[in-house]
Amino acid sequence: MSDHPHIPSARSRGMLACTRCGAVWSIEAEGEKCGRCGHTLHSRDTKSVQKVWAWWFAGVMAYIPANLEPMLKTRTLVMESEATIVEGAFELIHHGDIPVALIILIASVGIPVAKFAAIAYLAFSVTRQAKMSSHRRQHLYELVEYIGRWSMIDVFVVAILSALVQLNAAAQISPGPAALTFALSVIFTMLSAQSFDSRMIWDTDTAPTDPSKKEAPLERH
Amino acid sequence: MSDTDTPTSVTIESARTSLWERASIVWLVPLGALLIALAIAWNHWQSRGPLIEITFSNASGIRAGETEVKFRDVTVGLVEHLTLESDMENVTAEVRLEKEVAQYVDDGAVFWVIRPEVTTRGVSGLDTVLSGVFIEGDWDSTIGEAKFAFDGLETAPLLSPGEEGLRLTMRAVGEDGLSGDSPILYRGIEVGAVGPSRIGNDGSTVLADAVIFAPYDKLITSTTRFWNASGFSLSFGPEGASVDFDTISTLIAGGITFDTAASGGLPAKDGDRYDLFDDETEARASLFSRAEGPEFELTLVFDDNVSGLRPDAPVELSGLRVGRITNLTGLVDPDRFGDNRVRLLATMALQPERLGLGEDGMDPIEFLQESVADGMRARLTNASLLTGGLKVDLVTLQDAPAATLDLDAEPYPVFPTAPPELTDVAATAEDMFNRVNNLPIEQLLQSAIDFLNGATSLIANEDTQSTPKDIRDLLGDIRGLVGSDQVQAVPEQLSTLLTQLGGVATELNDTLKQVNEAQMVATLSDTLVSLQGTVERANASIDGVPQLVERVDGVIAKLETVPIDQLTVDLSELLKAVDRLIDTPQARQLPADLSQTLTEVAAVLRDLREGGTVANVNTTLQSASDAADAVARATDELPSLVDRLGTLISQAQATLTGYDGNSQINRDARTALRALTEAMRAIDGLARTIERKPNSLILGR
Repeated sequence: MSDHPHIPSARSRGMLACTRCGAVWSIEAEGEKCGRCGHTLHSRDTKSVQKVWAWWFAGVMAYIPANLEPMLKTRTLVMESEATIVEGAFELIHHGDIPVALIILIASVGIPVAKFAAIAYLAFSVTRQAKMSSHRRQHLYELVEYIGRWSMIDVFVVAILSALVQLNAAAQISPGPAALTFALSVIFTMLSAQSFDSRMIWDTDTAPTDPSKKEAPLERH
Repeated sequence: MSDTDTPTSVTIESARTSLWERASIVWLVPLGALLIALAIAWNHWQSRGPLIEITFSNASGIRAGETEVKFRDVTVGLVEHLTLESDMENVTAEVRLEKEVAQYVDDGAVFWVIRPEVTTRGVSGLDTVLSGVFIEGDWDSTIGEAKFAFDGLETAPLLSPGEEGLRLTMRAVGEDGLSGDSPILYRGIEVGAVGPSRIGNDGSTVLADAVIFAPYDKLITSTTRFWNASGFSLSFGPEGASVDFDTISTLIAGGITFDTAASGGLPAKDGDRYDLFDDETEARASLFSRAEGPEFELTLVFDDNVSGLRPDAPVELSGLRVGRITNLTGLVDPDRFGDNRVRLLATMALQPERLGLGEDGMDPIEFLQESVADGMRARLTNASLLTGGLKVDLVTLQDAPAATLDLDAEPYPVFPTAPPELTDVAATAEDMFNRVNNLPIEQLLQSAIDFLNGATSLIANEDTQSTPKDIRDLLGDIRGLVGSDQVQAVPEQLSTLLTQLGGVATELNDTLKQVNEAQMVATLSDTLVSLQGTVERANASIDGVPQLVERVDGVIAKLETVPIDQLTVDLSELLKAVDRLIDTPQARQLPADLSQTLTEVAAVLRDLREGGTVANVNTTLQSASDAADAVARATDELPSLVDRLGTLISQAQATLTGYDGNSQINRDARTALRALTEAMRAIDGLARTIERKPNSLILGR
């Protein structure tokens, strides 16, 4: 499966590292406290995938109202309008401001949806056979981790607009309920990505997860 | 996987670990989110009110998802959808009401759209210019049966939500009609409003809903009368012209005002109908001319379109006025009558109280149904022969064809009619006019014109015009003459004179008679004969005899010069002239002063006549005539007498001549002769005068 030559993992050598301070302990220390920093030692976070899915579901749940409820409430002297994220973007397109609309669409729709898909794929890939190579999945995971913070751009726009456009009677922009849920959705998604134990990506690529079956990857190979 | 692998107890144990131990605590987050979402959804669904449909003919300004439904300025709903009805007639707004108020939105609820409006009465709904229109709803505070479909009102109801007031219906009975959307003023204060006007069911009256706001609704009683306030009035009086304005809004949009002239009316109820009069005078007059009590209206269809029936024409039953005609219009209904003739459609308002059907009495409709079955019909009759006005008479005809009161007819039941009973005033009048026309007025007028022309030319004639003047002058002269003292004295003098003359004549007559009868003449003749001898004797000696004779002649001549005859002639001529004057027709037609003058003249003449003058004259003349006769008779002998006298004188002359002039005898004789001669001359002259103009004495009256 893997193009790489066999690379022994810490786990395959009967060792584990503290994820906080990096101290190396014997694999028998699984579940015990790190002698240096007190962090609970796990060779693999067995609940990682659960956490990923839990945060993922929470993120998706928050993302639904984030797109159905209005993001911005704009009240001017003559009118009061509410727009969801997509409505606002299409309104911008209608006004000819296509680049800004594209940014909003990508940041608020494209990236979150892609993140959901990527995280779900990664979570699946560690429990099932994945076609994508471990390297690519690692890259994907890093991308998700990196780009996750930019998903907040929409929330920042709303926050800045709400702070700037407060002209009382003449015009007022205030965040709608979608702003909160969207922010929650982004936060949940980031937590979901962080919950993913990326070491599991490589487990399928390396030796058997059990030290007693250290030859198994070679046999399979 | 490999046969060297043996399942470890650890993996089996780990697989046997409970779900709770294996499950991550993080799962609480999506679970919590799910619970929150479910709770929100449940709460939302739970608190969601019903969806009602409000139908508008015009949805301008209404937007789905934006337009709110407000009740007393509180948002109680939102328009969710706006759809066209399938017939494309109306727009239906689906409104999600709040649950708390939905239960009050029952059958009595009304909805209308508040839009910015600029009317003559002011600007309203200005806030909706910026915020957009909203739907205002009004309902009472009682919970009724739920209703989910409403018809939206075109305009806001007259009473705003929360306002108390009295709802009335106005009906314009005058020609001015009713201008809708105008205020109702009472002593200049706006106490109510009139809604949009509409044409009534009968097609000729104008109706409008009106409200009187509380607490002014106490002012309205059954004796209240409404009339149009024209906005301004212009009046001229001794103080000059005055222009009265009410309010500017009434000037522009018109208005209605009212007054409760009579006390004792019953308080008005919601839905009462009031008539709107053209002006105050009419309104006040109506208060006394119409009996109290509600009217009920019936329709009359007259086959003959007879002119003369007017609104307010009386409806009489046995001579008693029981109602009036409220409206007239033409009616063409081929389906109903089978032809295209125009029929007269009259609306009749009957007052049940006048029919003796009070509130406790029988139903007027029942009464009329029975009456119609008995043959009661409405019939047009003359109300006035002079004006040609018509009235409607409710008469019971025994031979009337069967008919019933058509209760199903719209808008009012139809009362059967009978052919009109009209006196053909027009024909009679035409006959009279014909007769007048046939009068020879033109000939008469021509004659009159001719007569007047003749009279004009006669009057215009200078002679005619001068005649009265001449007459007046003449009469003036106459009056002056008659009025002068001399003339006034004339009759007296004349009378005296004539009396004297009469006396003289009588005496003369007597003398002559004596002379005649006493043979004085004979004696005288003898004497004269004897004298003649003497004279003849004396004649020779007396030379002065001729002179004596001449003197005698002169004496007689003098006697002749006495102007009795001339006076008589003058008098006679005057009298004749007066007589002619009096006899002339012109004189008779002279005015009163002339008549007076003539009366004076007549009086003068009467005096003249009755004063004895004429009688005296007559007597005198009679005497004179006698005297003249005597004279005449004497005159017959006079020549011989004179001859003898002459002879005597001659003899005497001769005799005297024979004597010396200075002798006594001679002187005596001469004196005697002179006297004698004078006497002779006088007699001679008298006789000659009488001989010469005997007629003048007689004709001189």
